[in-house]
Amino acid sequence: MSWTIRSLLLGVFLLSGCNHGGGNVNPTPELPQACDAYQANISREADERATPWSVEKHLAQNFPDKKVSWLMTDAAYQNFVVATNAQNFGRCNDTGCYLFAAPSATIHAAVEKSMVDGVHDPAVIGQALGLPAKNFEGPLRMMTLDLEATGVCVRLPVDSDPGVWKCTSEEDTDCFKFGGYTSGGVPELMVIDAPVAQALVAEIP
Amino acid sequence: MSEEQVLIQSPLMYRLVRAGDGTLFLDVVVGGIAQFTVRVLLTAQEAEAYARLGRPYADRLAMDVMANPSFGGRAVRVP
Repeated sequence: MSWTIRSLLLGVFLLSGCNHGGGNVNPTPELPQACDAYQANISREADERATPWSVEKHLAQNFPDKKVSWLMTDAAYQNFVVATNAQNFGRCNDTGCYLFAAPSATIHAAVEKSMVDGVHDPAVIGQALGLPAKNFEGPLRMMTLDLEATGVCVRLPVDSDPGVWKCTSEEDTDCFKFGGYTSGGVPELMVIDAPVAQALVAEIP
Repeated sequence: MSEEQVLIQSPLMYRLVRAGDGTLFLDVVVGGIAQFTVRVLLTAQEAEAYARLGRPYADRLAMDVMANPSFGGRAVRVP
């Protein structure tokens, strides 16, 4: 791993720790109450469908530090975030900007494990996240967002969210399954209006 | 040959581009916790539909690509 990437990853981890007073984790995280009526209604319906699971239980069990991360190819980041001067990450329509995100610890660990001689190995990230290696080819960007600090709306993802592609068989490992986990078994959340200005962005060569 | 022209840069995370040879293609960001771009060349019928219906048609086509990133084998991953 190059010093640049190592420093970036270390910086992200340190910042994550600092925001929680040296690693003290709230044992009973509460759902950020930033959802508007439209998103709150979707979240309520998703929780009913997922019963006895819920976004609150999901946050408590899988996102104890309330940090989320996601990956984009550098080309997608440049063309759809930088070039457009996007204010929020994700796919935006009249009701908000919709972003899938996973626990930061999971994404960071997958990336760190994949680094060989300063370059990531797509196969290693793919295996760690249960997704095809080809999804991770080429330079990447890794984003990290502190849900607590930003107070953004989060909920369980649902079939109607922009960007969802449904699984067509039980064997599919690169598609959407309702319940808060990717088809590869990684916890995921739907983040609404994740602000670009408050996200940490790391280059992954 | 003229340069590419971006006809639509959508907040839905796609763009419709007219290539130098006049053909149209969509670059669409697909994926969940790992996002990447795929490119779909519009057929003559799709290009005609876009000319007739405009942006709502492009929106719908892009959403179709997001919901089915291979798009029947027509989508190619953009490096």
